[in-house]
Amino acid sequence: MTDTTPSMAAPKPQADRRWIERYPFLPALGILLVLLALNGVFSPNSLSYRSLTGLISTYLALMMLAVAQTYVVYAGDIDLSAGAIVSLVNVVIVVTMERLGGGGGAVLAALGIGVLTGLACGLINGIVVAALRLQAIVATFATSIFFTGFALWVMPVAGTPAPALFWRTYGGKFLGLPFVFYVVIALAILLYVIARTRLALQLLAVGDDAQAAYQSGLPVVPIRIRGYILCGVFSALAAFCVTGDTASGDPLVGGKMTLFSVAAVVLGGTALSGGWGTVAGSLFGALTIGLINSLVFFIGTPSEWQNFVQGLAILIVLMAGILVGRRARA
Amino acid sequence: MMGSVSLSSLYRQPLVVALALILLLLVIGNWLSPGFASGTQILRLLIVAALLGIVAAGQNIVILGGREGIDLSVGGIVSLSAIVAGNVMHGTDAAIFPAIAACLAVGAFFGLLNGLGVTLLRIPPLVMTLGMLGVLQGLLIVIRQGIPSGQAAPALSRFVTQPVLLGLPGIIWLWAAIGIAMAFLLRRTVFGHRIYAIGSNEHAAWMAGVPVRRMRISLFILSGMFAALAGVCLLGYSGSSFANVGEQYMLPSIIAVVFGGTSLAGGKGGYTGTMAGAVLLVILQGILTTVNIDESGRQMVFGATLLLLMLFYGRGRAMRA
Amino acid sequence: MAKLSLRGVSKAYGATLALRRGDLEIEAGEVHVLLGANGSGKSTLCKIVAGSVRPDAGEVLIDGKRVTVSGPQAARALGIGIFYQELSLAAHRTVAENICLADLPVRRGGFVDRWALAERAGRYIAMFADVAGEGFGPDALVGNLRADQRQLVEIMKALASEAPVIIFDEPTSALDRAQVERFFEILRTLKSQRRGIIFISHRMDEITAIGDRATVMRDGETVATLDLKETTPAEMIRLMVSERSDLAAETVAPAVVAASGAAPALSVGNISGPGFRNVSFDVAPGEILGLGGLHGQGQSAVLRALFGAAKIRSGHVRIGGREIAAASPRSAIRGGFAYVSGDRGRDGVIQGRPILENATPIHYLKQRLLLARPNALRDKVMPALDSLRTKFATLAHPIGSLSGGNQQKIVIARWLIERPDVLLLDDPTKGIDLAAKTDLFTLIRQLAAEGMGIVLYSSEDAELLGNANRILVFNGGAVSRELTGADRTRYNLYQAAYEAA
Repeated sequence: MTDTTPSMAAPKPQADRRWIERYPFLPALGILLVLLALNGVFSPNSLSYRSLTGLISTYLALMMLAVAQTYVVYAGDIDLSAGAIVSLVNVVIVVTMERLGGGGGAVLAALGIGVLTGLACGLINGIVVAALRLQAIVATFATSIFFTGFALWVMPVAGTPAPALFWRTYGGKFLGLPFVFYVVIALAILLYVIARTRLALQLLAVGDDAQAAYQSGLPVVPIRIRGYILCGVFSALAAFCVTGDTASGDPLVGGKMTLFSVAAVVLGGTALSGGWGTVAGSLFGALTIGLINSLVFFIGTPSEWQNFVQGLAILIVLMAGILVGRRARA
Repeated sequence: MMGSVSLSSLYRQPLVVALALILLLLVIGNWLSPGFASGTQILRLLIVAALLGIVAAGQNIVILGGREGIDLSVGGIVSLSAIVAGNVMHGTDAAIFPAIAACLAVGAFFGLLNGLGVTLLRIPPLVMTLGMLGVLQGLLIVIRQGIPSGQAAPALSRFVTQPVLLGLPGIIWLWAAIGIAMAFLLRRTVFGHRIYAIGSNEHAAWMAGVPVRRMRISLFILSGMFAALAGVCLLGYSGSSFANVGEQYMLPSIIAVVFGGTSLAGGKGGYTGTMAGAVLLVILQGILTTVNIDESGRQMVFGATLLLLMLFYGRGRAMRA
Repeated sequence: MAKLSLRGVSKAYGATLALRRGDLEIEAGEVHVLLGANGSGKSTLCKIVAGSVRPDAGEVLIDGKRVTVSGPQAARALGIGIFYQELSLAAHRTVAENICLADLPVRRGGFVDRWALAERAGRYIAMFADVAGEGFGPDALVGNLRADQRQLVEIMKALASEAPVIIFDEPTSALDRAQVERFFEILRTLKSQRRGIIFISHRMDEITAIGDRATVMRDGETVATLDLKETTPAEMIRLMVSERSDLAAETVAPAVVAASGAAPALSVGNISGPGFRNVSFDVAPGEILGLGGLHGQGQSAVLRALFGAAKIRSGHVRIGGREIAAASPRSAIRGGFAYVSGDRGRDGVIQGRPILENATPIHYLKQRLLLARPNALRDKVMPALDSLRTKFATLAHPIGSLSGGNQQKIVIARWLIERPDVLLLDDPTKGIDLAAKTDLFTLIRQLAAEGMGIVLYSSEDAELLGNANRILVFNGGAVSRELTGADRTRYNLYQAAYEAA
């Protein structure tokens, strides 16, 4: 016998559940902190200012790409071409910088062209998926082949170096602080601003129930296209980070990043079905992948076992994140 | 004959489209490079299509089962199976069947893990199988450090590449048998009807006593086993296995299913179309490798053509009815 | 001049004609009721006006001017708001965001003006403040709300369009009496503002309480427009069903089944679970036990729990003397239960699949079949479908090609191939037309006469009074009263339902 209230009472959200509802990235943050602590235990040096800066500058590209992916996932879509966009923008800006002489003006012009390239790719994806109504998984896979082909046309073989000005700035310091630090601050502000826009809310409403959103009078197709454009632009920003980090052009550099960006989004507590999530979570998710990789290294895994242990750890963390998030919500 | 009306509207239409496109591509291919549509060439393409088609069979039923069903781990399983088969048979005919059994067990094992993750832990299939792909890729690296790539048994290679009956290689017959078995499974068995039921309305199926979890786990196991079988055949096709040979099947197996008219939303479609979809995809790739353009152009044309072909299928419903 | 008029509007989905010829005239300042059985084209007509369905032919005029409604966005711009029967809410967004979703207040730069949003949504929330119930507020997530509360949000969303013409397609189906009263007060205010209201409901008392005029639809065609002050309910029903005019006649309440010495078909002892507590009852073979009371008082929860779709925490359940603890519908079915839900879209229909496959799953399970042989299955399925007078072309047609009533008949037929011991009916006639309802209850009574034990929950009191041998009135998750024999009156039912509410 129990004396719980019958169904008449509305489900009363408990405190922790409220928290998760407001901040779906909390489980991801928790996992991130645990991994950070483990890294510290196995290699105290890994928590130094220098190591953390290194971690961020290595994984900033994945963080950007995870953010890019998040905006399409908001609307219940997916972009399997995000990595190919990174490759394309990478070779486009490197070639542009080289052609224009590698000076400050050349770098800025190249970055402008890079953003436009990302935007154009996003627009193509948006039109193909939202306007032509092709299934997102297969359609963006097809566009990824196209973008990769285009990247190969721009730069058939990897290796063209980026001008020193560019990668020295990216890897260097400014007013005593690492440049990537400013990038992270700027990114945080940018994401905060985007989260306040009507578009963010509309993307989430479309992802929640596209038919309902349409019937409510939302312009669903343009909204989804804008989501893909946002994804393309952030993929371009990811390409800038990749270029700063690798200091060269490679027409296949981003290919492997696509699936990691999807994993990072899921790790961040965002629902792949759409309508639910945060970009902050995706940032934590991307860092989680980075920390797993470094932890696997620090605990002394033999080199041939590293990929396996990483894969297993990511799978386990993916499952744990989903289960924790669900338990807190249910 | 019952069923003719709805069957034609559900399955035949995408099939007709696919067959028409296959013919069109053959004509174009023969025009671009005379001899492309010759018997031996077509046979060679069909062997490649059979490999893809066998992977796509498992992908097909996982997708039909709904709840965003998809199996990204098939690529890893194909690679792993090829290595396992090569090492168990070591180039001897006697060890073919033990090798096949071992591979099917491996495929079933990873399929089971996928299925358990998707059902018991309720991890979305895309995430679960993506994570499993990462594990499998890591495992491949570990295995390749310790053991050689292995050798296909001569009989296996003959089965895959040489004519065995009526001038057709064994793998074509195997694929045809799988096609018939799949059509029977989906249309004339309770298991098949239940796949559609859970794919179309999982909750209603559960309320009607369908063992939804067990069904879904079975689908992932079958998908793993089909991928493993494809791995064995792939070993026979190439003689020895090499790294990540299976990765090329991951997304194409999904595209073959989509080209066959199966909806990624689940509950709608069939395998006959998928077979045509696999042939279509392989012919397209075949044309692109015969024409004389460089890799970049080839990829751009391939990507653009895939998009163009998709316009014939799998377009979502318009928001406005 | 009419505020809104539709002339000769039609719509076909493939071979199915959803709307043959719709005509409608709405004046400013009236509540215009759309009447018709399910599948008569009401919702299609509404969606054409609201822009979410593209008409094949016909014209729409607003204030006498011909307009083209190119989509929902255009409809809003033309001054049309709508409440969708299936709701159009985003579950993970807040109540306030949902109310304002179609027209989010933005500041320069595309930023959402949170203050204006809260202020605007607050106006509509305030209208229902005292009847919305616990847990309702501007910041509550819609997905956490009860069904009636979600329906209120959809109402507020429609009101927030502030459109001169607002369509309400079954807005009251989940609301309680107080909520309906408040809604009607608001409709009267809208009338006084000279707005045109289209209202759809299956409850005759609501129609007569709020409607000014009614347009009757039948088989996708507008049949007549009536002044409700000069029309009797019987006449409206006659127009809706035409060929079977005897349907309106009240059915006679069945007698109490004498308690025989035989073991009860179903014996429920003091069960408690989510949404219900301490529920006990016996159902004799051949008895129809009614569950009554206001909606959501635990009737559905009990039936779903008995069927294994929800947990029973304590107590016992026996079928024909055998103890049964159903952990899932599958084991409940094996134990002898059958369950028919009123929410057939969620619980019953396997959309997109042939009628045959929709009628056979229980047969598969109980016979442990492996192969599905169409001819053998047809012989099993046809008698069941015939006994319900189901209308369909062939068994191979997808179930979606049928009307709602006929879909429900297919779902019920799946339980008739292998007879269960106990049939649980959870508001089985929700949203189906009168003719289908009659066929259904004829069958239910026949099944009872053959010795099946039946538990019937219905949200329509008339169905309970007309069919149940005994009625248990639920209140707050528990049985508050039992009505037998001559006590089974509408008055007693209402009184018991409202007693402690």
